[in-house]
Amino acid sequence: MSTPAGAPTRALDGLPPRRIDYGRLFSLLMLLAPAALLLAVGLLWPFLTMLRMSFLDRYPDPSALTLEYYTLVLGDPYFLRIIGRTFSLALVVTVITAVLAYPVAWFLARSRSRYKHLVFLAVISPLMVSIIVRSIGWTIVLGNEGLINALLHGLGLIDGPLQLMQSFWSVVLGMVHILIPFMVLSIASVLGKIDPSYAEAAYVMGANPVRTFLKVTLPLSVQGIASGSVIVFCLTIGAYVTPVMLGRGKVLVMAMGIFEQMVVTVDWPTGAAVAMVLTMGTMLVLIAYGLFLRRYSRR
Amino acid sequence: MSSSEALSNSHAPKATSGERALSLYVCLILLFLALPIFIVVPLAFSSDASLSFPPHGFSFRWFVNMVNRQEFLRAAGLSAMLAVVATICSLIVGSLAAVGLVRYHFPGRDTLLMVFMTPLIFPAIVLGAGLALMFSPLGLLRNFWGLLLAHMVVTFPYCLRTSLATLHEVDKALEEAAYTLGANRWRTFRHVTLPLMRPGLLAGATFSLIISFDEFTITMFLAGPGLMTLPLEMYNYTEFSLDPTIAAISTVLLIITSIAIVIIEKLVGLGKQFS
Repeated sequence: MSTPAGAPTRALDGLPPRRIDYGRLFSLLMLLAPAALLLAVGLLWPFLTMLRMSFLDRYPDPSALTLEYYTLVLGDPYFLRIIGRTFSLALVVTVITAVLAYPVAWFLARSRSRYKHLVFLAVISPLMVSIIVRSIGWTIVLGNEGLINALLHGLGLIDGPLQLMQSFWSVVLGMVHILIPFMVLSIASVLGKIDPSYAEAAYVMGANPVRTFLKVTLPLSVQGIASGSVIVFCLTIGAYVTPVMLGRGKVLVMAMGIFEQMVVTVDWPTGAAVAMVLTMGTMLVLIAYGLFLRRYSRR
Repeated sequence: MSSSEALSNSHAPKATSGERALSLYVCLILLFLALPIFIVVPLAFSSDASLSFPPHGFSFRWFVNMVNRQEFLRAAGLSAMLAVVATICSLIVGSLAAVGLVRYHFPGRDTLLMVFMTPLIFPAIVLGAGLALMFSPLGLLRNFWGLLLAHMVVTFPYCLRTSLATLHEVDKALEEAAYTLGANRWRTFRHVTLPLMRPGLLAGATFSLIISFDEFTITMFLAGPGLMTLPLEMYNYTEFSLDPTIAAISTVLLIITSIAIVIIEKLVGLGKQFS
């Protein structure tokens, strides 16, 4: 056999080679190149196109770079209201989702129930159901001829139908429904790693269950809440389908503003500026999360 | 008896009221999750012309309407085709990258992994609009290949993640054995690593198929007349008529999804892919 026994082991173990192994380097590059190319062409390029577009003075035939469209977007009460609504929607959805998801995550991480596996399956299965189907479902539940109105009418509590769709809170409901599985998974994965003996220790030392939870378990699981919140927040500020289908034109969010500007009024630089504001919102959240993780791991 | 034993014994035999409350709460949340999904099923068999609940009669006419409308069938065909091709491509790209990230140690590896996962949180509406701006001078708007690229970007992280998860479990000694016995890197990958990664690849394929089949926001910028996916066609239909046809299509989709969930659960265990 021509290959010495030591060399491949080192190559596979990833130990630092004594000198650069060009064959190994080449195969590493070959392995990563397709993925890097995919993201460069399919993510970075469109992002840079969008970034450039947001600074052009007009399109087509740009002649100069300008901040005009940013000042326009950030100075216009119409856009400001949309931006404000989008971020408050994301905040409300994140808080509600975290509160609702925590006990479910706790159940998945701690319970000795026989049905735990089934519960897990039931929590993640909605992820596989089309968002359009789910919006139709909410229409059937909340609509004027829907389930809730039929129930209330049947009980004699109302005469005419209640307007449950087309409101900020119907969009919140739809978003919470979509995002709960993400939050449960994030929190459960962290809760599962916490050694139960910490809580037991606190309990033995005389802390009551509530105090034990607030002082020991909750702080230890903050990281799961934080990573879940980042996902939920980012997915909410970029959401389009749910606000359109449950808001039915009454709840304008940034995603709809971008679509309007790009496709309906074909004002690309303005649309690009709104898109960049949205992207910056996402980035700020990610940076805040990064800072939080650094501070948190130092403690 | 140690204190921890005493503790768990005091908890174990009878379900405490706290535990019962928690179980009840979990049931309520599951009900909340299931409600808008399963409520479309009875409406699919409704004889009413609107999505009113409860339905006043039983009929199959909305299923007949669904089959008679050519656009839904055509759109379903395109969606399926797109999902399959995008999944195959993403799986290849994702599994190769996974091998690079797990089996090789190099500076910046964790950062690179994070970069590869960005499509998961990058706002879809921005990506869709950006791709539309980029594609329009290239003539890739309303073009199958443009759609394919977009769908690969969104499905790739799922393929990468599931590949990474299984690759961590594949025993490196097996690869070393093949390598020591004279197989080169490619043959080792092809005949040893790849077959061992099969469960992860299957799970990745399932997720990727579903993500691509359901993709709406990005596709809405890139598709158009003559190139419509099923979610877009369904959305367009609801814009004009909210009748149970859409519930009938949803019911068919739910049945297909349920079968997919059962298959993947039997083959690889859905739970394993998340923990």
